[in-house]
Amino acid sequence: MSEPKYKFLSTPRRPVEDRRFVAGRGKYVADLERPDMLHVAPLASHHAAAVINSIDGSKALAMPGVIDVITGDELAGAVQPLMNGLNTPNVRRFPLAVGRVRYAGEWVCAVVAESRAIAEDALENIIVDATPQPFVLDAEQALLDSSTPVHPEHGSNLLLDRKFVWGPVDEDFAAAAHSLSFSVTWGRNSTVPIETFGVIAEWNGWDQMLDIWASIQMPKYADQIARSLGLPGNAIRVHYDVDVGGSYGVKRGIKHSVLVGYVARKLGRAVRLIEDRLENMRAGDAHGPERKFDVAVAFDDDGTVRAMKMRALDNAGAYAGRAPFQLGKPISAIVGPYKINSVAYHALSVTTNKTVQEAVRGFGQAPTNYAIETAMDRVAEYLGMDRLALRQHNLIRADQFPYLIPSGSHYDSGDYHAVIDKVLAAADYPAMLAERDRLRADGMMAGIGIAACLEPSGGNSSFEPLLNESNKTSTWMESCQVNVDALGCVTARIHTTSSGQGHETLVSTILGEVLQINPELIRITRPNSLESLPGNSPVGSRMAIMLGGAAARAGEKLKAKIMAIAAHHLAVDVDQLRYESGDVIAPDGRSLVWDDMIELAHRQYHSLPDGMDPGLASFDIMQVPTGEALPADGKVQMYPCYAFEFHLVLVSFDPIIGRPDIHSYFIGHDCGTVINPAIVSGMTYGGIAHGIGAALFEEFAYDANGQLLTQSFLDYLMPSSHEVPAINIVKHCTPSPHTVFGQKGSGESGYLGSPAAVSGAINDAVAGLGIHFEKLPIRMSAISDAIAAKSS
Amino acid sequence: MNIELKGSEQINTSPETLWASVIDPVVLQRAIPGCTSMTETGEGQYLMSLELKVAAVGGSFEGAVSLSEMNPPHSCVITVSGSGSLGSGGGDAAVSITEGEDGKAQISYQAQGEVSGLVAGVGQRILMGVAKHLARQFFAALKKEFAAS
Repeated sequence: MSEPKYKFLSTPRRPVEDRRFVAGRGKYVADLERPDMLHVAPLASHHAAAVINSIDGSKALAMPGVIDVITGDELAGAVQPLMNGLNTPNVRRFPLAVGRVRYAGEWVCAVVAESRAIAEDALENIIVDATPQPFVLDAEQALLDSSTPVHPEHGSNLLLDRKFVWGPVDEDFAAAAHSLSFSVTWGRNSTVPIETFGVIAEWNGWDQMLDIWASIQMPKYADQIARSLGLPGNAIRVHYDVDVGGSYGVKRGIKHSVLVGYVARKLGRAVRLIEDRLENMRAGDAHGPERKFDVAVAFDDDGTVRAMKMRALDNAGAYAGRAPFQLGKPISAIVGPYKINSVAYHALSVTTNKTVQEAVRGFGQAPTNYAIETAMDRVAEYLGMDRLALRQHNLIRADQFPYLIPSGSHYDSGDYHAVIDKVLAAADYPAMLAERDRLRADGMMAGIGIAACLEPSGGNSSFEPLLNESNKTSTWMESCQVNVDALGCVTARIHTTSSGQGHETLVSTILGEVLQINPELIRITRPNSLESLPGNSPVGSRMAIMLGGAAARAGEKLKAKIMAIAAHHLAVDVDQLRYESGDVIAPDGRSLVWDDMIELAHRQYHSLPDGMDPGLASFDIMQVPTGEALPADGKVQMYPCYAFEFHLVLVSFDPIIGRPDIHSYFIGHDCGTVINPAIVSGMTYGGIAHGIGAALFEEFAYDANGQLLTQSFLDYLMPSSHEVPAINIVKHCTPSPHTVFGQKGSGESGYLGSPAAVSGAINDAVAGLGIHFEKLPIRMSAISDAIAAKSS
Repeated sequence: MNIELKGSEQINTSPETLWASVIDPVVLQRAIPGCTSMTETGEGQYLMSLELKVAAVGGSFEGAVSLSEMNPPHSCVITVSGSGSLGSGGGDAAVSITEGEDGKAQISYQAQGEVSGLVAGVGQRILMGVAKHLARQFFAALKKEFAAS
């Protein structure tokens, strides 16, 4: 038997964080108390669009316990607009509406009171005089000249309009034997964390310091708050030792934080704002992409897909937010796992009178994967080809990596065919087909869904300079510090909050592997932002690659110092020494154990090599692998690593009731070297459940007047354990050449392909009726209505 | 969301007396569910405060009521607009009063309204039921005004 490759990596180890979470001892913002803390409740707009004539807070202010009523006008006079990554200076956003409201639920003003309950009661006594205005909800309509701009000063609803042509698209379309086109729409949904957003800000005038505790997952959060409040960067101290109760992109909280930061400074008190569920659903940062795709593909008789034209129109909601950039990330995997030779991509983002769209898991990749996989199914249908065979024919082969796609990214590694073969074997695909046919013979509608897709990972935010040429950002670094104290104990510092990704497990496992010491003995701390090195938070499926990478490199630096001390002390060339579980052994058998090294480094300066500093500490600030250059000619290497997933799912439903039942779910997953198997599996299970929600249930639906209809869990439906089947994960490992251990990202796994797979299964079930479902979610009512319409 | 309501009720009094009552703020305040104040601000113009609590929808509302197209004692149009912490609403109702064979007043109404805000979202599934319930309460109270005493 060969030695296992790793001591701690890829082994089944309980995540460090689980102990406190399982015991209910996590520390969330809502668990924190500050002395004399005030509470904020925002007043929500009733109208989708209205001009605010006046706000009368006098009755509210007269109530006992009410301290202040803050309006948008007051705030706009005191803080800078929130960051907008585009060159649209007239699309200005403040935490509270200024002059006009632009969506139902937008915060009109805010009450500050001694308790949240008093603040909520006081909201009833605020009199807002507003005149309703014309509004627009649909993205295509928002593009029309006849539509009222959401921001009249901006002149139109267009936020982003970029056309890219990568490769000979027209030539490929002309040369191909066939082409087809279709439209599909991805509905607005969220990640719906259990914890809503919360923040506490506390101003200390004697220290000139604003302390912040927040449930954030937000790159450059402290910088954005400081800029908006006009404070020096080192007057904001964000405490990262706060547990975040779920996020996947939606814990941005900039407007909340600027609001309470302003109030805290104004009143000299600690101020807390924790969204209730309605505030979160209506006006938090909960809404993800809402995107219409118009796709055309050119292909040959044998199924070779040569070229694709894609127009992606995104409904950004009332302000710029992060929405436009979610059209950028998918450029990094615009051909999916397929050898498509050329692509034309037209990315459009428009404002509408809906809630602002922010980041949701995958940052726009899952909708695009849904469009690409729908194209594959349509081509197979057109040619009368097997959907699986068509995919296998077009997939990039293992011997073609690194593979350069038309939009400029190299895919690092993969063996897509091997993963698919494993899944087909594990699922007993012929038996699955037979089961589908048996269900059909029993009078059920039954279908098999197939989806293959990629998870770009190791986020470098290159979509920002790609979509906005004035942005010159080419790094998205992450950092780690390691210190070995005088007793020999190892402590590492990481510089971000955790929303359940298991960073403490990640860093302790990797440092344990590098230093060959038990990860259980390594302490991980999260200092505040002023005690931190630069980092960019856990977005873009990057922490295994970037935080794991920085931890490994800091560990290697520490080890190098240990080896140098030992080489000097033993008078042996460093190359001849062997490092083993913290001890250093010379060829002649002499050795220094860990405690010897600590003694030397911490107490015996005279025994250290000339010029070496005392102590045992290191740090690393790591650049994103492959992230060397700014975009050029509309192309960029956006992400270093590409994880692969392949979904195979069997669904059936009664033709009259139309309620989908997922019989079996298989996913093949290759995210390179796995650091902690339990964490990766957990990501995948949750991602698939999330994707089933996007495919069948979850949508922020609006009525014709712009009122959000699905703002509570009565109406915003999520899959429960009844709807999520047992999920079989088939693992495969193709290491990435760009990362320290070959790891790739897995934070978005499952979600990136499951909506496409479930949609494919339902469409397969109704294919015989000539029905195509072209919008997600596919509600049971839509299924039964479509079948009824065909039958009558 | 939009709401439509219509109905017809028999009231145990003459059309003329009924007409006088439904433009009397004192009677209206007694009959309108949750109405805590009703002030006449001009001819056929009223300001009204409501405290409503029906199932999940509850809160205080401030509103304005105006009567127009008055054709005593036969018909009028009632226009209502209001707002509170839970939402805004507005609408109008065409009301007609006829005399039945027994001399009693028959009041018919056809109303359409639009609500927005929290009640429109959270309350949508119960809003029609709530509206009908409130209308029933109103007419029950009105009938009580003319109950044999």
